[in-house]
Amino acid sequence: MKTEVRGNGGSISLQNPSLFNTPLDPITGALKGCLGSLDGACIEKLLLHCASALENNDVTLAQQVMWVLNNVASTVGDTNQRLTAWFLRALISRASRVCPTSMNFNGGSMFQRRLMTVTELVGYVDLIPWHRFGFCASNGAIFKAVEGYGKVHILDFSITHCMQWPTLIDALAKRPEGPPSLRITVPSCRPQVPPLLNVSKEEVGHRLANFAKFRDVPFEFHVKDDDPCLSHETFATQFESLLTQLTRSQLDLRDDEALVINCQNWLRYLSDETKGNTTTVRDAFLDVIKGLNPRIIVVVDEDCDLSASSLSSRITTCFNYLWIPFDALETFLPKDSRQRLEYESDIGHKIENIVGFEGFRRTERLESGVKLSQRINDAGFVSLPFCEDTINEVKSLLDEHASGWGMKREEDMLVLTWKGHNSVFATAWTDEGLSVVQVEPTETKQGAVSLRKAANG
Amino acid sequence: MPVEVDNSSTVSGDASVSSTGNQNPPPKSAVKKKRNLPGMPDPDAEVIALSPTTLLATNRFVCEICNKGFQRDQNLQLHRRGHNLPWKLRQRSSKEVKKRVYVCPEPTCVHHDPSRALGDLTGIKKHFCRKHGEKKWKCDKCSKKYAVQSDWKAHSKICGTREYRCDCGTVFSRRDSFITHRAFCDALAVESAKTQTNPSSESDPKVQAADSSPRRSPPAAPPPVSAPSAITSSDIRIQSSVLAEDPSTVVEEAPTPAPAPAPPPAGLNGSSSSSVSLVSSGCSSSVFSSLFTSTTVSASIHPPQPLAPAPPLVGLNGSCSGSVSLVSSGASSCSSSGVFASLFASSTVSASIQPPQPRALTNLIRADLAPSTSIEPISLCLSTSHGSSIFGTTGQERRQHAPPLQPAMSATALLQKAAQMGAAASNASLLRGLSIVSSSAPQENLQWGQAQVDPDNASIAAGLGLGLPCDGSSGLKELMMGTPVFGPKQTTLDFLGLGVAAGG
Repeated sequence: MKTEVRGNGGSISLQNPSLFNTPLDPITGALKGCLGSLDGACIEKLLLHCASALENNDVTLAQQVMWVLNNVASTVGDTNQRLTAWFLRALISRASRVCPTSMNFNGGSMFQRRLMTVTELVGYVDLIPWHRFGFCASNGAIFKAVEGYGKVHILDFSITHCMQWPTLIDALAKRPEGPPSLRITVPSCRPQVPPLLNVSKEEVGHRLANFAKFRDVPFEFHVKDDDPCLSHETFATQFESLLTQLTRSQLDLRDDEALVINCQNWLRYLSDETKGNTTTVRDAFLDVIKGLNPRIIVVVDEDCDLSASSLSSRITTCFNYLWIPFDALETFLPKDSRQRLEYESDIGHKIENIVGFEGFRRTERLESGVKLSQRINDAGFVSLPFCEDTINEVKSLLDEHASGWGMKREEDMLVLTWKGHNSVFATAWTDEGLSVVQVEPTETKQGAVSLRKAANG
Repeated sequence: MPVEVDNSSTVSGDASVSSTGNQNPPPKSAVKKKRNLPGMPDPDAEVIALSPTTLLATNRFVCEICNKGFQRDQNLQLHRRGHNLPWKLRQRSSKEVKKRVYVCPEPTCVHHDPSRALGDLTGIKKHFCRKHGEKKWKCDKCSKKYAVQSDWKAHSKICGTREYRCDCGTVFSRRDSFITHRAFCDALAVESAKTQTNPSSESDPKVQAADSSPRRSPPAAPPPVSAPSAITSSDIRIQSSVLAEDPSTVVEEAPTPAPAPAPPPAGLNGSSSSSVSLVSSGCSSSVFSSLFTSTTVSASIHPPQPLAPAPPLVGLNGSCSGSVSLVSSGASSCSSSGVFASLFASSTVSASIQPPQPRALTNLIRADLAPSTSIEPISLCLSTSHGSSIFGTTGQERRQHAPPLQPAMSATALLQKAAQMGAAASNASLLRGLSIVSSSAPQENLQWGQAQVDPDNASIAAGLGLGLPCDGSSGLKELMMGTPVFGPKQTTLDFLGLGVAAGG
């Protein structure tokens, strides 16, 4: 006995009509409104259905949805297909850990981490302005902030292995009054996220030192060592230990130095969970660095709010945010480009963490620029606007990339946009107590503290 | 003429979707200025989908009286004044006060989704032109092609005007990339190691195309160390590319091109515990295709373990210990690109031992195969490049290379198939899948080449890991706990049958 079903595109004859007694509603609901084709909105709905199925232990539905998604997914397809592929992997990864067992799984992901050479990393960070935007804006702000100083000390908290500094060294080298002597200190611990290098931090520092020498900039590089018995611990544990070592003496801070604190894609890895009455690690970090009396703090991160505890809202937000780098890469790289696939795979790693993990293993806890700015403000910092020179530099940087990249200002924050959608934000701050050189008297957000040009001793 | 998008009138999306959790976070109300959150442009905006013709048309604004076309709305308004319209008609419609966002009419496009709509008309027109239009403008210096004239002009201005050359030979058009590269380039490292007494040229590395770097080191100097190190970094991926390919040589005859030289990967044979990294190949786009190809490799090397229970997840039949990680690779390898396709790929190999298969699905498969071998099963797949679903491509699979582009299947059809699959699976309990080997499977299903398999196992396999609590039969528990249900070499298993070691 045959039954005909008329779908959108035609009829399908099925052998067994009793199949229709099965509950189709969830899938039907998922695909309703898709007009017969699976576009981004549909895929998002499917992902959400899958997630909720997993949370409800509805095996059949989850499997059905995954089956459908799998038909769309392709790491070498178009943007939507690629996104789907990585989200699907993350969901499967999540599913495979649902059963709490004696499986030893200390938060490692299913993905092998790829190690790059330094040269490859250089190309990587410049593929799209995602990182370079932050570098440019930050370096501009730093350059201005250290004007008049003969010594500069940078505490570099970032995941891009000092890719930011050559352009700053170059700019400092060309200072009319001559370059300052420059010290860069990096922590030895780092979140285990891509991009990953195949050389040590010391080696990176060594090369940077070579370059600085080449440009005649006096230079020192230090790796702030952690307790060696923590070397196999998670980043969170290592960092908590590091926090205790961020003191004037242990960092060897000197009075005649301008202290710069650089946080690039860093704060998001610091836990924002309060355990009992203690402050969050994130806030504790801000307090510690405030205590060091820095000249300037620059904070750059991705403008997306992924701190929600609800999986569904994270999936939605993440899906509607990470299409941006995928789309940008699609603009100028062919479908089988190795660089593109690697870049996307690193984003996939992020997706896996956001969607596939919970609790302390979910290390990616992005806050939106606005929220993070509020947090920094609450810690007692005052925002510094970016000067026109910096803004012009950023603009000309973006001009050199694909059209579609833009920039906008939201109060004192600079935001990188792709086709009008926010992607990365950059902010600069200073300690409320210090008087700041060269900032035009403008109203800050609070309106209370007006910053005037002041000679700084 | 502007057309409302059918499936949603606002950016907030279709109200018929209900799912747990907060799907549409409300826009921030606390901030003074209303800002667009990523992925959440103004939810009150009117979403407009223009037709391709409209988007490509240069004269989008047409006078309704005389049909004269204008490129700009202002020009049209100016023109309309000349018609001496009564005051009412001259008014701009109040609709225009509302914020408009535009979506791309192309369904597969990323901008088809209202939450990724573009805020201005010019933007969407340019996008459509660039992305889906013909590239009519070509740069004569570097042969890049552009669909939009302004892009072409902008590029031509920059192309070739500035070039920075590093000692290692790489050329850059952007100064910041050049500086950063130079700082870390091995050429520099070797340079400064060699020359101690270097007459320090102010040496601003800025350079014109013709000149080489101010440092008088010969451009051919140290060969870019990146070459050898490139090999190192790809070493890590070599395993995977071999992984991806080996099964093809094992199971099928046609070898696929390898992106990198392939020394036999250490961890493949399952004896070592190194993690096997899977790089998703350029064309075999499946999530787990390589995951399971590795199994088939080991399966060929070590005799497949006699598996008492069904080999569902048996991604790795115990032969590969260590965690299996997934990375994207460029090898064009396994034809099986579906997650579940490969899930079962492995069982094809070992399936000679036991081919459980419920009848309903068999019928389904047959139904799929009936019409045409080259088209039908393939049509299940939406991914146009290399995808094939569980039911995949029969003929092509044997030849072991990426299937050609497939026609897209409608969502409705997919829905039917999914439901059928679910229906069949819901009959098979977990335990059945694990321990019972039904002998009803027709052998022909196993001849699809390595990609095709056991749809029932698919569902069961998937079912095993998905949301199942750790109670239930001992079989499941053992599976989850990683006791050697599937072979002595397995350490721990997750639902995919992967040994997951700490190093994962």
